[in-house]
Amino acid sequence: MSDQSGTPGAAPGGTGGRTGAVTLVDQGNLGPRTSEGSSFFGAVTPIFRFLYSLISKNFGALLLALIVLSIFGTFLQGGATLMGNQIKNALVLGAIYALVAIGYTMVYGIIELINFAHGDVFTVSGFYAIFIANTLHLNSLATSSFGGLLLALAIVFPLSMIAAGLTGMAIEFVAYRRLRDAPRLAPLITAIGVSFLIEGVMLVREGPDYVTTGQASWINGTAFTIGKVAVGYTDLFVVGTALLLMFALGAFVQRTRLGKAMRSTAQDRTAALLCGIDINRTISATFFIGSALAAAAAVIYSINYGDVKWNIGFRLGIIAFTAAVLGGIGNIVGAGVGGFLIGLIYVFGGSLIGGAWSEALIFAILVLILTFRPVGLFGVEVTTRA
Amino acid sequence: MVKPTKGVLSIASIAALGVLAACGTTSTPTSSSAGATGIAGCHGTITVASDMPLTGGDATDGPFPAYAAQLAVTQANANKLMGGCTLKYISKDDSTVLKNGHDPAQGAANITALAADPTVMGVVGPFNSSVALSEIPVASRNHLALISPANTNPCLTAVVAVCSDPTIAINTASLYPGPHTYFRVIASDVQQSEIDAYVAYSVLKAHTIYVFDDQEAYGRGLALLFMKYYKADGGSVVGSVSLPGATTTFSTQLSVAQSKGAQAIFFGGTTGNGCGLVRRDMGSAGMNIPLLGGDGCEDQLFITNANSGAKTSEANGSYATSAPDVTKLASSATFFSQYAAAYASLPAPYNNGTKEPYTAYGYDAMNILLHAINSVLVGNGGQPPSSSQTFRDDVVAALRQTSYDGALGHTTFDANGDTTNTGFTLYKVTNGAWVGVNTYAVDTSGNVSVKS
Repeated sequence: MSDQSGTPGAAPGGTGGRTGAVTLVDQGNLGPRTSEGSSFFGAVTPIFRFLYSLISKNFGALLLALIVLSIFGTFLQGGATLMGNQIKNALVLGAIYALVAIGYTMVYGIIELINFAHGDVFTVSGFYAIFIANTLHLNSLATSSFGGLLLALAIVFPLSMIAAGLTGMAIEFVAYRRLRDAPRLAPLITAIGVSFLIEGVMLVREGPDYVTTGQASWINGTAFTIGKVAVGYTDLFVVGTALLLMFALGAFVQRTRLGKAMRSTAQDRTAALLCGIDINRTISATFFIGSALAAAAAVIYSINYGDVKWNIGFRLGIIAFTAAVLGGIGNIVGAGVGGFLIGLIYVFGGSLIGGAWSEALIFAILVLILTFRPVGLFGVEVTTRA
Repeated sequence: MVKPTKGVLSIASIAALGVLAACGTTSTPTSSSAGATGIAGCHGTITVASDMPLTGGDATDGPFPAYAAQLAVTQANANKLMGGCTLKYISKDDSTVLKNGHDPAQGAANITALAADPTVMGVVGPFNSSVALSEIPVASRNHLALISPANTNPCLTAVVAVCSDPTIAINTASLYPGPHTYFRVIASDVQQSEIDAYVAYSVLKAHTIYVFDDQEAYGRGLALLFMKYYKADGGSVVGSVSLPGATTTFSTQLSVAQSKGAQAIFFGGTTGNGCGLVRRDMGSAGMNIPLLGGDGCEDQLFITNANSGAKTSEANGSYATSAPDVTKLASSATFFSQYAAAYASLPAPYNNGTKEPYTAYGYDAMNILLHAINSVLVGNGGQPPSSSQTFRDDVVAALRQTSYDGALGHTTFDANGDTTNTGFTLYKVTNGAWVGVNTYAVDTSGNVSVKS
């Protein structure tokens, strides 16, 4: 699942059997056209083709340049303090996007499904965390002492992650397993259905308003100050935990038997089956891990912001999905990096040209990636297949 | 027009509702019901209605003015205000499950259904300006009086500078395909924003401000008007941003506001769209400057949201203007005790009218409507006019002449159907609750003064 992963065409042998199905990222149609009707277009086509390949090959560099420029622009606008504050904001936001994006990318990598319910698993996990913390009286434990905080974290993280993992497995078992060999559109539709179902249940159970988690007071205070930028312990906790979990996942996928099974299933399910890999178990495990990471993101979110609402996972999920596409869908490292890049784009775009444009900017990036570099920043060169 | 004596109403309600013990303190002696003598021989049925969001997310607001309107009808019946005619009351709910609260389409359907009933002479409602946009044309086409207790969007009645803003885009003239049958007993956002600007500049002494809005007609309109009047007062708007209601974090824009040296934050919008979350994020960002909002922020949810962050008392020191704190008006004391007596059996919080700022507005709106109907009957020899449409037109004409002393004080309507009884109270969060500071009034040339 690292470089090659399950992107259609990235491993032509593996996914060849299913290229006839509907894919979101169908690179076959995205390359430059070869025949043009009029002579005018015939004349300019090579120019377009050259520009296309130039942008497509240097997409990552261009994006990075844009981000660096906007950071510099923010510096000119508000000085080092504003720049520093926004970098902090971007990293905090990016860490959460990254953890959610990994769930999208893992599921896509292994069964080529955009799991639209993933954002809602994030929200459900937020409510799991509230339930666990309230039932076990973790709020008073966490605020009592540093040891108490560590203990509370050591309880709330695994329990929420297990609960979310089981939820993810249940969703896969009920909504996707029987549709695994159906046309690609079928599981996509059930995914949307599951998403609405979860949102509906949460709306009825938890009400239409933000629910206070009570966990924002767990971690408090300023860790250190650079210039006038105060970095809180919460900020360090958010980014640190996210990075830790991502490295743990990377090691798991690279080093363990189950990780190896997941990678081989992603590359070629039939061949993996022939080698004696239990496909169902492997796919279930993928859903478990992806959902558990969403739960970790939700606990982090809950501790950082202190509120959860029935539908917060929807937008967050779509933005995280964009992060996964940016990094190269199916690529775990890509999703992590993509999450942080999207955080930077969201914050610096919003800071420079106005917050109303933040989301428009994110989705413009999504369109540009799908047009110019459908395999994402960390996928293989599109030109080798176009 | 008819000026009811408070004592009549309370004695009537005691008799009607059989709650002698609960409010037996009124002493004003009165002999007969106002104007009832001439219409004792009236025959026929007259129907009045209310249209409020009663379920879903609005269940915390809409039922209060609806119950208050119903109380006014109950009292009028006990009081034989319509003489021999039967007075009926219909309560409509403009909420839908789909919207989890007020739904403009449902509102329009409600008014259409009410207008089709020839005995319906007027409706108290709606609660939300967005619903008013779809109800006003229906009411106008059917010559039906519509009196809102809570719509504050200025563009519903008159064209002001912000009506053409793309976010608001209200063509006031097109709302009235027929006669202008819409009235409101609450002041509009023009007055509210003038007062907000005054509060920000002269009370909070913030000479630079950063403005948020929630991209909705109410919030965007309030923010635009606020910026206009704030600049006119001499203040400087260092930045502004429109963010969707689903925004979960405001730290990026707060960092910008901080770097531009804002001395206060203004939020045009509702708590559901992030007013409390802005305050929460101000706490995380260590910004010790005031937050000021409009009536969309003045609720319990604001305090809950603002205190949900790392600083659990962050809401303290936040400001919002809202409907005047009518619980402080001497004129409203009788009403609130009558409300409490009549609805003692309802579950909390509905058994206490003071739990919602618009309760008394629903009561006065219905009373104004009932007295307009009464004056038409009296003027017509005690009988309803022959045709339903004439009756409705006469009621609207009588409403224009309104001069009513009720729970809110003295109400008259200007040419646009707007109340002349303006005023907004500045509230401040103190120890986890909104507490009224001062009530401000604004005159037609925009001068703000302390009313109480």
